[in-house]
Amino acid sequence: MKKIKILTIILAIVLITMVSFFGVYTQVQNRMENQIKQYSYAMDIEGTRSVRLALNDETNTIIKDAQGNEVEDTEELTDEQIQEKGYTKEEIPVNSEEVKKVENYKKSKEIIEKRLKLQGLDNYIIKLEENTGDIIVEIKENAQTDSIISNINTVGKFEVIDSETKEVLMNNNDLKEVKVMYGVDGTSGTTIYLNMEFDKEGTKKLKEITSTYKTIEETEENENAEETENENIEETNTTNSTNATNETSTETTEEVEELKDGTEKEKQVTIKIDDSEFTTTSFKKPVENGILQFSMGSSSTDLDSVNETAGRATRIATILNCEAMPVRYEIEENQYIYSDITNEQLQMAEYIALGVIALALIVLIIRYKLLGILGAVSYVGFTSLLMLIVRYTNIVLSIEGFIGIVAILILNYILVNKLLKQDNQNEIYKDFFIKTLPIIILSIVFCFIVWEPISNFGMVMFWGFFLIAIYNMIITNSLVKIKAGKEK
Amino acid sequence: MKNISKKTKIIALLVAIIIIAGIIIILTKGLNFELKYETAQKIQLYLAKEFNISDIKKITDEIFPNQDVIIQTVEIFNETVGITVNNITDEQKSNLITKINEKYGTELQADEIEITNIPHTRGRDLIKPYITPFVVVTIIILIYLAIRYKKLGILRTTALVAFCIAIAQMLLLSIMAITRIPIGRITIPLVLIVYMLSLMGITTNFEKKLKEKNKEEEI
Repeated sequence: MKKIKILTIILAIVLITMVSFFGVYTQVQNRMENQIKQYSYAMDIEGTRSVRLALNDETNTIIKDAQGNEVEDTEELTDEQIQEKGYTKEEIPVNSEEVKKVENYKKSKEIIEKRLKLQGLDNYIIKLEENTGDIIVEIKENAQTDSIISNINTVGKFEVIDSETKEVLMNNNDLKEVKVMYGVDGTSGTTIYLNMEFDKEGTKKLKEITSTYKTIEETEENENAEETENENIEETNTTNSTNATNETSTETTEEVEELKDGTEKEKQVTIKIDDSEFTTTSFKKPVENGILQFSMGSSSTDLDSVNETAGRATRIATILNCEAMPVRYEIEENQYIYSDITNEQLQMAEYIALGVIALALIVLIIRYKLLGILGAVSYVGFTSLLMLIVRYTNIVLSIEGFIGIVAILILNYILVNKLLKQDNQNEIYKDFFIKTLPIIILSIVFCFIVWEPISNFGMVMFWGFFLIAIYNMIITNSLVKIKAGKEK
Repeated sequence: MKNISKKTKIIALLVAIIIIAGIIIILTKGLNFELKYETAQKIQLYLAKEFNISDIKKITDEIFPNQDVIIQTVEIFNETVGITVNNITDEQKSNLITKINEKYGTELQADEIEITNIPHTRGRDLIKPYITPFVVVTIIILIYLAIRYKKLGILRTTALVAFCIAIAQMLLLSIMAITRIPIGRITIPLVLIVYMLSLMGITTNFEKKLKEKNKEEEI
C-alpha cells in the first residue's frame, strides 16, 4: 500500500514535470501546437520599441498684409495674387532659435515621461541628447504601443479663442485636470465624456466667457451649425461636475450682435488643441463651477466603438493633463529592436541552472540515500509547478524575475534538506517561515509596486513562498512520512 | 560590553577597508556603467538577408578589439543589424562595412551609412524607480523586526538592522567599483540578492539571541 502511495505521488510529479517542461501538444490545422501558456518576457529580455524624437526643423509659411497682420485662409492664393494684394510671404521656423535651449529639451523630456506614466506605462527608458535635443524613448511592445507613441510628440497646446478676433481667451495654464467619464443610457448605450476642470483663475475666466457668449435663442439652423468638424464632438454645458450623464445643452448659442438687417450674428469660441479645432461653440448659461464637459462621438452599444472613443478621449486627456511641450518634435525613427540578450544566451543560462540543480540533487541523494531520491523527485515536481505558476499568473519575466525564481529554488532546497534531515517537521516549518518572514514581507510589498521589474520579482517570490508552504506540506511531507513509516 | 571575537574584528576591518577603497575609487574614477547606459554611437546596417549575431560578433571583434559592443536585431524580419559601440571612427566604419559586404554580398557604401549618437542614461534615473519600493519595504521590515525582537531592545534591533542593510549595500557598491563590474541590468538583481541575504542573516542571528534570552529568563 505504501509503495502504491509513493508510486502514485511520483507518477503525478512526472506528469507535472512533462507538462511543464515539454508541454501538451494537440493538432491544430495539420500542425501540433503546445497548449501550455508561453512565458512572457520583459523588455530587457525580449526587446523594445525604440523611438527617436528629433527637433522639427520645418518652417511654416505665413502671409501678412501690408499692415503686418497675418492673413487667414491663404491656401488657395497664388504667388501672383499675393503680390497683387500687397501681401508678403514669410517662412517662420516651427522651432525658433530662442526655444532651442537645453532647459526646454529637459522640460520636454519630463513632459514625455509624465505622459507615459499617465498612460499606465511604468517601465520605459528615456534618454536626452542635450546638444541636439534628440530624445530616445524605449517602451515595451504591445497592443497599446502605437497609440502611446502617437501621443509622444504632440505639443499639447490648449487654447480657447474668440472665433472671429482670434483672441486667446484661455490656455493650458487655466486647466486643472481633464478626465474621461462614461455615461450609460439604457437605450442609446455608452457615451464617453471629456471633462475639463479649470483652476481658480480659469474658473473665473470661464464664467466670464460663458456669460459673454451666452444663448439668446434657439433655431434649427443653430442646431445644424453646432455640428463640428471634429468627429461629431458635441459641446455640452454642464452644471454638475460629478455626473457625466447630467442634463446638458447641445443647443448652439449666440452672442448678441446686431447685423445690418437687424438679425443677430452668432459669435462663438473655438477650442483648439495643437492648433487644430476641437470644437466651436457658445454657451446657454454661465458656467460657474469651472467645468466643461464634452461628449466624444455619439452613444454606442458596440464595445469596440466605445473602447476606440474612450482611447481617443484618454489620449486627449493625457496630453492636456501635462503641460504643452516647449519644443516641437518629430518622430525620426520608430522601430522594434530585439534585446541584446540572445536566445542562445538564455538557453545557456537555462542549462547552467539545470546543471546546478542536478548537482544539488545528487548531493541530496548521496546524503540521504532513498529518502534523498524521494526528496529529489519532490524538488523536481516543485520546480515544474513553479514554472507553470509563473506562466499562468501572467508574470512578465525580467532579470529580477529570474533572480526571484533562483531565490525560491534555493530556499526550497534548504527546506527540503531540513525536512529530510529531521523528524520534527512542524518545528522545521516554523523555523523556516520565521526566518524568511522579512523576505515574505518584501515579496508582498513588491507585488503592489507599479515598477514592472520589482512587481514581477515580488510576484515570483510571493507565488514561490505560497508553493513552498503548500507543496512541501502535501508532497514532500507525505513522501517523507510514508518512507519513515515503511522503515518502522 | 561583550567581547568581540578576533574573527569578527578581522571581518569588520576587511569590510571597512573594502568600503573605504570603494569610496575612493567612486570619487576618483567613478563607477563603470554598462554600454547600454553610456554615451555611445550606433550604426544600423540593412543586410537584406537573415543573419546570425555570432557572425556579426566575429566581425565586430576584429574591427573593435577590446571594446564592448552591443549587437541587436532591428525589426522582426531579422535583416537589419544595429551595432552600438562607445565610439566609431570613420576608419572603423569603413572597415566594418567592407567586412559586412564581403560576408553578406551587400553593396553598402560607407558614406551613405549614418552614425547616430546615443545619449547616456543618468545613474539617478536608473535607480529612481527602485528607491520608493526599497524605502517602503525597509520601513515595514524594521517595524516587524522591532516588534518581533522587542525583548532584544527595540532601538538596538532597529539600529542594527538598518546598519547591517546599509553596510551590505555599501559593500556591494564598493566591490562593484573596485572590480569595475558595470552598473546596469544586473545591478538591481545583485542589490536584491544582497538585501535578502542580509535579512536572512539578521533574522537567523536575532532568532538565536532571542532563544538564548528566553532560556535565560526561564532559568
